[in-house]
Amino acid sequence: MASTEAAAAPGLALPPLTEEDLARSHDRSRVHHARRHRKRWYLLWLLVGPGILAMLGENDGPSMIAYASDGAQYGLGFFVPFIPVLFAMAYICQEMCMRVGAVTHRGYGELVLQRYGRVWGWFGAGDLTLTNLVTLVAEFVSIRVGLAYFHLGSGVAVVLGLALVAFTLSGGRYWRWERIVLGLALFNGLFLLAAILVKPDVGGIVGALDFTPFPGGSFNTLLLLLASTIGATVTPWMIFFQQSASADKGMTPSDVAHGRYDTAAGAVLAAIFGIGALVAGAALLTHNGSGIQGFAGAGFPEALKRVAGGAAGTVFALGLIEAGAVAILTISASTAYAAGECVGVSHSFNSSPGNAYVFYAANAGVALVAAVVILIPGAPLLSIALNANVLATVLLPVSLVFMVMLANDEGLMGRWVNKRSTNAIGIAVIAFVGLCGASYGIDSFLLSVHLIS
Amino acid sequence: MKAPAPTIKAHRDPLVGETPPAPHERFDDEMVMDLERDQFVAETSRPVARASLSARATSALWALRVFVVLVSLMVIYTFVHQLR
Repeated sequence: MASTEAAAAPGLALPPLTEEDLARSHDRSRVHHARRHRKRWYLLWLLVGPGILAMLGENDGPSMIAYASDGAQYGLGFFVPFIPVLFAMAYICQEMCMRVGAVTHRGYGELVLQRYGRVWGWFGAGDLTLTNLVTLVAEFVSIRVGLAYFHLGSGVAVVLGLALVAFTLSGGRYWRWERIVLGLALFNGLFLLAAILVKPDVGGIVGALDFTPFPGGSFNTLLLLLASTIGATVTPWMIFFQQSASADKGMTPSDVAHGRYDTAAGAVLAAIFGIGALVAGAALLTHNGSGIQGFAGAGFPEALKRVAGGAAGTVFALGLIEAGAVAILTISASTAYAAGECVGVSHSFNSSPGNAYVFYAANAGVALVAAVVILIPGAPLLSIALNANVLATVLLPVSLVFMVMLANDEGLMGRWVNKRSTNAIGIAVIAFVGLCGASYGIDSFLLSVHLIS
Repeated sequence: MKAPAPTIKAHRDPLVGETPPAPHERFDDEMVMDLERDQFVAETSRPVARASLSARATSALWALRVFVVLVSLMVIYTFVHQLR
């Protein structure tokens, strides 16, 4: 277990220092100063970050299109209460990631690899790379869809996404990266603004809190809805990201309470903004989802413009650009952390590219590969975007199982191990996610090979 | 990269040097005091001990892994099938 004692008692030799240590200690000195002087709000400001970024990063392009699509096709009923329930599930998972990162000062990938063996570590990294690549393609698609509203093409989407990655990586400091992405992530609130602009019936939103009406349609459609909506709230990259980012930020067991505030704030904001996208999409319900059918969500801004005015369309388009951009940054970062951790080399924003070349190369490389895919003429981009969440849901249970195992590992966590109640909820979440993902996968496969009809 | 900065001991040992450390070195020393010992890169670079999983736990993990791979293949097949 990590020591909660101060590092260096006078007279005790320190380990060799690296530039990463110096950068992190600079951030920690501000935290300690704020804590000593009881500057509560400043302390909170210093310690928030990984939780909000994980949650708002998951309010990405495909997720917001999925919420808006749910609203356009099924209305508000069921989804208004279902989205907060899913983010409550996400909080349970992400709180564990934050806690393990703060106590062990290590990322998820390296802990799984070292604690349970290379096979499990590399399997996890493989899952992550696959889902991240697919999701990153979907993020570039999201930016492209938003830019198309302003008559800009794929090339601009690629340049914008890659320029953002390069800009945020250029500082050589975790703090700088985190604050830039945090600033961008707050624009996820554009979806709430879009919801206000469509002038929704507030009584209808409140009335939908009783989970009714339940979405109609075939069993497979229902499973797809569940799997894609779950995949819009909890995914493997969030697990890798929040644990590694908490460690990279330098969080310690004394920061766990603030880490919980950070994660809870992220979950609440993400749920509100997600419901914003749902409400905006529901404005199209009375028009039979016009504008989205046949174009699989790409026409949302245009459809909203026709139904609720130019302002709503513009705000929604800007929201899609923001959602895609933030997710590109956080998902690329999670890939980079996993790559560095599994290879066993430096993996920190506080290291320079020369010292953490695997980390920086993976960060930029995975974004570059996804960007290249969207430039391929005729690539099935929208199908990729719609299936990204489902694939993440299917692969998620394994990551969650290891997360619960790590959070229960007394050798690593000491007194910070999970409580029984956390384990019970965590296991229920794994079972629910696994059941939904597997049911959709199996049912769709049987339909595809005509074993059922 | 190992920075050339000296250790805390070198600075805090009263027998070492009567000249005060250079301002930037002093600054780094005070900053480093804010890190917990197990936060240093040198400490986190050491691998944690391998956990011993029971045969049942290992079997369950493999069963879950095989199941997830199979379902993923089904999802990918369905995705490709829908493209045709």
